[in-house]
Amino acid sequence: MTELQAERAGKPLGVPRIEAKSQRSRYLDVLIAIAAFAVLATLPFLFSSKALLDFVIRCAAFGLFATSLNLLVGYTGMISFGHGMFFGLGAYSFALIMQRTGVPIPVAFICTLLITTVIAAVIGAICVRLKEIYFAFVTLAFQMLIHSMILSWVSLTGGDQGLRGGIPRPVFLGVDLSNYLHLYVVSCALLVIGLLLMRQIAQSPFGYTLRMIRDNAVRASFIGIDVWRAKLTIFVLAALFASTGGIIMSLFVSGAYPEFAFWTISGEGIFINMLGGVTTFLGPMVGTVLLLIMNDTVTRLTEYYGIVLGIVILFFAIGLRKGLMDFVVEWYEVRRDGAKERAR
Amino acid sequence: MTKKSKPGVSRRSTLALMGAGAVTFATPWVARAQAKTIKVGMPTILSGRVAQLGTSSRNGVTIEVDKINAAGGLAGRQIEMVIRDSKGQPQEAARVARELVNTDGCELLIDAEASSGAFAVHEVARDLGVFCIHTNSETSSLTADPKQHIPNAFRTARQGVHDSIVGGGYAAAIAKAKGLKKWATCSPDYAYGRDTTAEFVYYLKQFAPDVEIISDAWPKLFQPDYTEVVTKILQAKPQALYSALWGGDLTSYIDQANIYALFSQMEVFAVNMADYTALTVVKNLPKGIHSGNRYIKTYPATAENAAWADAYKAKFNEYPTNWSWENATAMMLLAEASRKANSADGKKIADAMRGLTIKSPFGADGTVTMRAEDQTLIGYAIGWGTTIPSEPYVPEVKSGDWKQILALEAEWKKSKGYT
Repeated sequence: MTELQAERAGKPLGVPRIEAKSQRSRYLDVLIAIAAFAVLATLPFLFSSKALLDFVIRCAAFGLFATSLNLLVGYTGMISFGHGMFFGLGAYSFALIMQRTGVPIPVAFICTLLITTVIAAVIGAICVRLKEIYFAFVTLAFQMLIHSMILSWVSLTGGDQGLRGGIPRPVFLGVDLSNYLHLYVVSCALLVIGLLLMRQIAQSPFGYTLRMIRDNAVRASFIGIDVWRAKLTIFVLAALFASTGGIIMSLFVSGAYPEFAFWTISGEGIFINMLGGVTTFLGPMVGTVLLLIMNDTVTRLTEYYGIVLGIVILFFAIGLRKGLMDFVVEWYEVRRDGAKERAR
Repeated sequence: MTKKSKPGVSRRSTLALMGAGAVTFATPWVARAQAKTIKVGMPTILSGRVAQLGTSSRNGVTIEVDKINAAGGLAGRQIEMVIRDSKGQPQEAARVARELVNTDGCELLIDAEASSGAFAVHEVARDLGVFCIHTNSETSSLTADPKQHIPNAFRTARQGVHDSIVGGGYAAAIAKAKGLKKWATCSPDYAYGRDTTAEFVYYLKQFAPDVEIISDAWPKLFQPDYTEVVTKILQAKPQALYSALWGGDLTSYIDQANIYALFSQMEVFAVNMADYTALTVVKNLPKGIHSGNRYIKTYPATAENAAWADAYKAKFNEYPTNWSWENATAMMLLAEASRKANSADGKKIADAMRGLTIKSPFGADGTVTMRAEDQTLIGYAIGWGTTIPSEPYVPEVKSGDWKQILALEAEWKKSKGYT
């Protein structure tokens, strides 16, 4: 994985042309996003299946979560084992605000993001100073701290029974989230907007700074980049998208459960990234779709879900040695280069 | 010249793979509507530490479904169970429940989830309006809290507060007779353990006011080593110990406490001891542990109960568990309500089930009732007794008095602000 990244990073960037090119690719991204949203929005009219809508909503929640994790893992080289805490935090904050205060949904949404920003900034400020395994383990420790707080603060969170009683969903701007179709469209919109924003972050100069930090943090700091600040910024930004994923999940299950903030969610995030690949932007999204399809079909067929999942992990880790999207992109490049060769 | 094969996967096989993927992707969403059979969905836990919850729930349901189907089914429709694993994760429980209804076309749900999963499925039932029976969650608030109440959800599991009232009363009588004043508690550190222990202590003190708790230990759920817990309790030198540990945790605890001869130094009250999952697994079951009945074949001491347990043993080669009778009861009630309503429609069954009393091998007086006001089961056999090391394990069980249980439960509800 890292070899691959190093190889790619070693290629010359073509500095003068990058401005115009990035402008053009930005328009292209927006077009793709609009097209993707249009396709997702027409699905309910083509298929009557509610399970398909369920599936897409869950994809939106986990997709945002996994892609935001890739901003840390793939782009900045910070392997966070505790990213799930922000997923849980989003779910709990949003559900609690809706249950306790009865404010309109957009207000609760923004408040949740604010809460996440503050907490992520505090946790990030402590964590991002550390490197590699130390960073991974301190994030894991914070995740367990948040998980324990959810478990023990029973009067607020409902403890290990989770937040019960459903989430009230007052209508806002004509959107009624208790209507399943509305929830579906809103989830799709959040997913597409979230992905588009993350794509912009990844392709911005800041995004390239992150790649530089990943490849050589010392060099980055010598040319005047405040590494700590850049790392903290991306840590907080990633937390915001994970939190949005949590909000979608809390709306989907109409509650929040401590499992959302447990380390297994972070583990699933890492696994999705392994599955889809970390060198392409859409890798985690592909990984999410793959994992959920696998989850849904395998649990339908057998109780021994763990065995099947383990074999798949082994196949990707030992067999392919990269994620699916990495593999596809590489394969495509090999074919293209091969074609050029033949044409010569 | 021979044609060189290209590296990697060929275009054709890629297409084939994608096609195969699309087919697996699409088939589940083709709902198969069959008028003749009625599908009953059941999310439960079939993997991990508490997989036995799922397997004994499945067995309990299966044995009754076979009977119902042999007798003609639900209003003439044969029952087909669709049982899925949620891996004990609430979001999976919610997803599985939704999928069972929306995709597999299940018309009724048996929610055999534990703890948080049950609340997640409850929300699905609220959202979809599908008929649902919770069979394993003993958390009192699931039905006691009016905020949780929905007309289409019922519970056939025992309830934590009932156990505590009976346990508290039984323990207080022994405490008075033997002069046990210093008590210790040792329960798993999660909602069930904390709540049941608090309720037990509350009722113990109600019935025997001079009891005091001098030590409490809260081992983690699924903790493998209990040495520190055992020594902590031994050092406190209590006269009696209460524990809400269950299943594998309880058996590990007993095996380890046996080394320190804990059971000869104090009276032990372990509410979850009298269940075959614990009784048959402990290496040296000490004599004289006080326990609530979870499920044992000899209580209630009726021919019906013994016959039911034997039939179960013959079919699955293991004894029923507490989860087995709770799930079997759900199917019995379902069959009777459907017969009474002469319909397999969830709404009509729900109307018929409210307040329904049926004959049951697990009833305190041979019947159990689905109480109409909060749609939870009452009248089931509930009592306490002491263990012996071999079958029948708990020879004599002192029954709880349902009149007293209901009176105290009503008070408890009031104190919680539920009524």
